[in-house]
Amino acid sequence: MKKQKGVSYAKWGYIFVAPFIVAYLIFTFYPQMLTIYNSFFENYRDGLNQVGPNFVGFDNYVKLFTPDKNGVIDILKYTGNTLILWLLGAVPQILVALLLAIFFTSYRLNIKGQQFFKTVIYMPNLIMASAFSMLFFTLFSNVGPVNQLIQAWGWSDVPIDFFARKFTVRGLISLMNFLMWFGNTTILLMAGIMGIDQDLFEAANLDGASATQTFFKITLPLLKPILVYTIITAMIGGLQMFDVPQVLTNGAGTPNRTSMTLIMYLNNYLGKSKNYGMAGAVSVIIFIITGILSLVVYRSLNRKD
Amino acid sequence: MKKIIALVLTVMMVAALFTVGGATAFADDEGKVFNIYAWNEEFKGFFEKYYEVPEGVTVNWIIVPNADGAYQNALDEALMNQEDAADDEKVDMFLAEADYIVKYTNSGVTQDIEALGVTDFSNAYTYTVQAASDNANTVKGVSFQCCPSALIYRRSIAKDVLGTDDPAEVQAQLDSWDKFNAVAAKAKEKGYMMTASDAATYRAFSNNVTSPWVDADNKLQFDPQIEAWMAQAEDFVANGYTQAAGIWSDECTAQMFGDGKTMCFFGPAWYFNFSMGNAQDPEKGCPGDWAICEGPAAHFWGGTWLLAATGSDNPTMLADVMNTFINDEEVCSALVENEAQFCNNMAVNQKYAEDPNFGSEFLGGQNPNAVFVDLAKNIKFENQTQYDQLCNEMLQDKAFREYLKGSVTKEEAMENFYKIINEAYPNVVTP
Amino acid sequence: MENINTSDSRRGQIRLSVARVLVYILLIFLSILCLFSFYMLIINATRTNAQLQGGFAALPQGHFLENLKNAWTDASINIPRGLLNSFFVSASTAILTTYFSALTAYGIHAYNFRLKKFLFAFIMAIMVIPTQVSAAGFVQICYKFHITNKYWPLILPGIAAPVVFFYMKQYMESVLPMEIVEAARVDGSGEFRTFNTIILPMLKPALAVQLIFSFVQSWNNYFLPSLLLTKAEMKTVPIMIAQLRSADYSKFDMGKVYMFILLAILPVLIVYIFLSKSIIKGVTAGSVKG
Repeated sequence: MKKQKGVSYAKWGYIFVAPFIVAYLIFTFYPQMLTIYNSFFENYRDGLNQVGPNFVGFDNYVKLFTPDKNGVIDILKYTGNTLILWLLGAVPQILVALLLAIFFTSYRLNIKGQQFFKTVIYMPNLIMASAFSMLFFTLFSNVGPVNQLIQAWGWSDVPIDFFARKFTVRGLISLMNFLMWFGNTTILLMAGIMGIDQDLFEAANLDGASATQTFFKITLPLLKPILVYTIITAMIGGLQMFDVPQVLTNGAGTPNRTSMTLIMYLNNYLGKSKNYGMAGAVSVIIFIITGILSLVVYRSLNRKD
Repeated sequence: MKKIIALVLTVMMVAALFTVGGATAFADDEGKVFNIYAWNEEFKGFFEKYYEVPEGVTVNWIIVPNADGAYQNALDEALMNQEDAADDEKVDMFLAEADYIVKYTNSGVTQDIEALGVTDFSNAYTYTVQAASDNANTVKGVSFQCCPSALIYRRSIAKDVLGTDDPAEVQAQLDSWDKFNAVAAKAKEKGYMMTASDAATYRAFSNNVTSPWVDADNKLQFDPQIEAWMAQAEDFVANGYTQAAGIWSDECTAQMFGDGKTMCFFGPAWYFNFSMGNAQDPEKGCPGDWAICEGPAAHFWGGTWLLAATGSDNPTMLADVMNTFINDEEVCSALVENEAQFCNNMAVNQKYAEDPNFGSEFLGGQNPNAVFVDLAKNIKFENQTQYDQLCNEMLQDKAFREYLKGSVTKEEAMENFYKIINEAYPNVVTP
Repeated sequence: MENINTSDSRRGQIRLSVARVLVYILLIFLSILCLFSFYMLIINATRTNAQLQGGFAALPQGHFLENLKNAWTDASINIPRGLLNSFFVSASTAILTTYFSALTAYGIHAYNFRLKKFLFAFIMAIMVIPTQVSAAGFVQICYKFHITNKYWPLILPGIAAPVVFFYMKQYMESVLPMEIVEAARVDGSGEFRTFNTIILPMLKPALAVQLIFSFVQSWNNYFLPSLLLTKAEMKTVPIMIAQLRSADYSKFDMGKVYMFILLAILPVLIVYIFLSKSIIKGVTAGSVKG
C-alpha cells in the first residue's frame, strides 16, 4: 500500500526540486566547478596580461602548505584565526538567542514590549557591515570616545590601541558579529518554537511541569532540527567571515595577521591579480574544512536521539 | 618674463583657434556614442560645464565607485572585451589615477594620442606627461589637473621653533631632509611634533626614487629613498617627533585643531582646501595660521588622467577633449578660477600666481599658486611600475606601521610585507 | 488573596517576578547595545563633513536637514530611483528564494523518490562551498555573454538558495505532519495545489522569517551589483553609497553618506516591522486551529 503511493507520487518530488536544481546548475554550479578546475592551473593576470591557464597539477596546493621562513603554514594559521573568531562570536550568539527565544515565547513570563525588543535586536543586521565597521572604528580609535572614557576614569594614562592588539581586535570582531547576528538567530529559533504545537505546552502546564522540565522535555527536542540548522549555518557563515574583519582591519588582519580569515586570504589572491589558480586551491581547502566540520556537527547533534 | 607670457598667450590663442577650426572637421563616419569610464563625478562636472559636445554625439558616463576595486574590475573587463563590443559600447576614454596608471599606459588597451592629434605638451607639466606615457615614451593620455604637494606649516609654531613664519625663510631652513630631521629635534624640545603621521613624508620620498620597486628580473627591491623614509619613520616615532598613525586617522586629523602641537603637514591644494576640516573649524580650528613652502623634496599627490582607449570609434572627439583640457586657455582659466584647481597649463597658472587677488585666507593671505608654479616643474614621475600602488600602500600604511606601533618585530613586518606582495603578484620575487 | 494561595505557588510567584526583572534587565542592556550604533548613525547624519573629520560627537549638531537636502538633491545620485531599484531587486529575490526553497524542501520532505537522499546530500554539500568564489566566476561569465545592466542575473540565482532550503527542510521536520498531506489527497487536492493552499500557510512563520532575511541580504548586497550594474538609472542603494564615498575631495561629504545609510535602512525596517507582525499572526492562526 505505502510502496504504491511512494511510486505514484515520486514524479512530484522531481518536479518540485527541478527549478532549484536547474537554477543552481546554471548560476552557481558552473562557476564553482570552474573554481575546482582552476585550482590545478596557473591562471592569473599580470596587469592586463593573462598568464596561463597552464596545467600545474597539485603545485598550487603544495604552495599553500609550504611553511614560511618561521615554519608557519599560512593557511593553517588563518584557519585557526577563523575558527577562534567564529567561536568567540557564535557561542554567545546561539546561547543568548536561545535564551531570548524562550523568554519571548514563554507565556508565563509574558514579556511586555516584545514587538519593540524583537525589532531592536534585529536592527544591527540591517546596517551594512562596512558602515557598522566604520562606526566601531571611530568609537575605538586612539582619540575616540572609548579611549577618552578610559583616560578620564584613570584606567590608563595612554590611549589603548585597540587595533594593534590581538585580543582587542579579535574581541571587537566577535562583538560586532555577535551584535549583527544574535537578533537574526533569535528570530529563527522563535519561529521554530512558535511552530511547535501549543497544545503540548498547555498539556505540560496542566501536568504541573516546571519551566525547566518543559524546556528540556518538549521545547529542546522539538526545536532540535532548527537548532541544528542554526549551528551549522552559523558555522558556515563563520568560516566565510569576511566583511567585518576586512573593513575593521583595513584588509590587513592586524596585528601580525592574527585576524586574517580564510576568505580574506582568498580575497588577497583574487583582488589584484585575479589569481584563479591559487584562489581555487584556497576555496577547495575551505570547502573541505567546512564539509568535515559540518558533517561532524550534523552527525553528533543527530545521534543523541 | 612678461614678454614670454605674452608670447605664450599668443601661441595659445592661435592654438585655440586651430582646435576650434579642427572641431568642424569631425568625420561623419565616427561613432555617435562617446563612452567615458570614471569612478566619480569630478571630471564629469568639468566636462559638462566646459566642453562643447559635437552635435549628434551622446556622451555616456559609466561611473563605477572604486570601493573594493570595483572600478578597475569593471574597466578591465570592458577593455579586455573591447574587440567584441559593439561600436556604441566601446570604451572611448577612461580616467585613471597615478597609483595605477602604469598598468594601462604600458598595455595595448591605450593608444598613442600624438597620432590622434594631441601634440602640444609645451604647457603641460612634465610629470603629468611622463605619467601618461609608456616605457617607450609614447603618450597615451593627459591630465586636466596638476597636484603639486607642499609642506603646510603652522605659522605660530614655525615662529616659536624657527623664529620666522615667512615662507621663503622657512623654506631655507627646511629645504633638505637633513635640515628637516634636525628641525624635528628642535621642535620636540619646544614640545611640538614635526608631523602628525609617520607616513606624512612618504610621498616626498617615494616620488623621487631612482630605481623601480620591481626590477627587470621581477625582483622586489628597496630604493634608497624608500629606505630613507623607513629610517626617518623609525627615528621619528622612537623620538616622539611624530606618531605611528595613518594620514587619514583621527589621531592625525585631531592635530589640525588650534590646540594641535604639530608643525608640518604635507599636501596639495585639495588637501588644505577640502581635507583639513579640523583646521578650518570656526570654533576649534586655526585658519589663517598656516602657510606653505616647497619643503625638502618636490612631489605630487593625487590627480586624474584621461586615457585614450584603443579601438575608440570617436578618435577626433577624443583628441579634441584632451586638447581642450590642457591647451584651451579659457577652459584652463575657468578650472583655476571657478573650481579651485591647479590646472595643467603652466601659462595659465603663472597668470594666477602673479595675481595679488589670488591670496588664500586659510594661508594667511599667501598665494598658493606662487609656490606651486615653481614646485610643479620639479616633480618627477620616473621608475614607476604597475606594482607601485600596492607596494607603497602596504609598506607605509600596513606592514611598517605595525612595526612602528610595536606589535611586530621589524623582521616580522618585512615578512608580512613580502607575503602581501606574493599573494597579490605571483610573478614578483621577494627577498 | 489569603484564601486559596498556597505558600508554594506564592514562592513560585516571587521567583517569576525576579526572573522577569532579570529578563528585562538583559533585554534592556542588549537593546542599548543594538541601538547605540543607530544612535551614532543618526548623530553622524546631523553633522557636516568637517565636523565628522573631527571625530566622535555624543550630541546632534543640527545639520540634519541640510544633509537630508544634500543627499536627496545630489545631482549624480537619484535616491528615490535607487530605493525603487533596490526594492524591486530585493523583493523579487526574496520572494523567489523563499517560495522555491519551500517548494524544494517540500519536494524532498514529502515524497519518496530514488534520488531523494542523493539530492539532499548534494544540496547540503553545495551549501558549504564559499559563495565568494562562484561570484568571481559568475561575473566573468556575465561579461563574456554581455549580460550586464540587467536585473535578472541578480534575481534568478535566488531560486537556488541552499541555506534557505535547509531551513525550510528543518522547519518542516519539526512542524509538518504528513497526515495533513494525506488528508488533502483524500479530498482530491492536486499536489501543486496542496502545496500552495495548505502547506504554504502552515509555513507562515518560516516564510516570513526567510522573506525578511533574504530581502535584507539582497538589499545590502554590494559586490555583484557593483560589477554588473553600471548604468546610472539601474544602480541600487549600496552602489550609490559607495559612489558617494568615492566622490572627489571637493564633493566628499561623510554627512551625506551617513544620511544615505540612514535612508537606506528605513525601508528595510518598515518591511521588517510589517513582516514580524505576520509572524505573530501566523502563529496565532495556528493555535486557534489547534
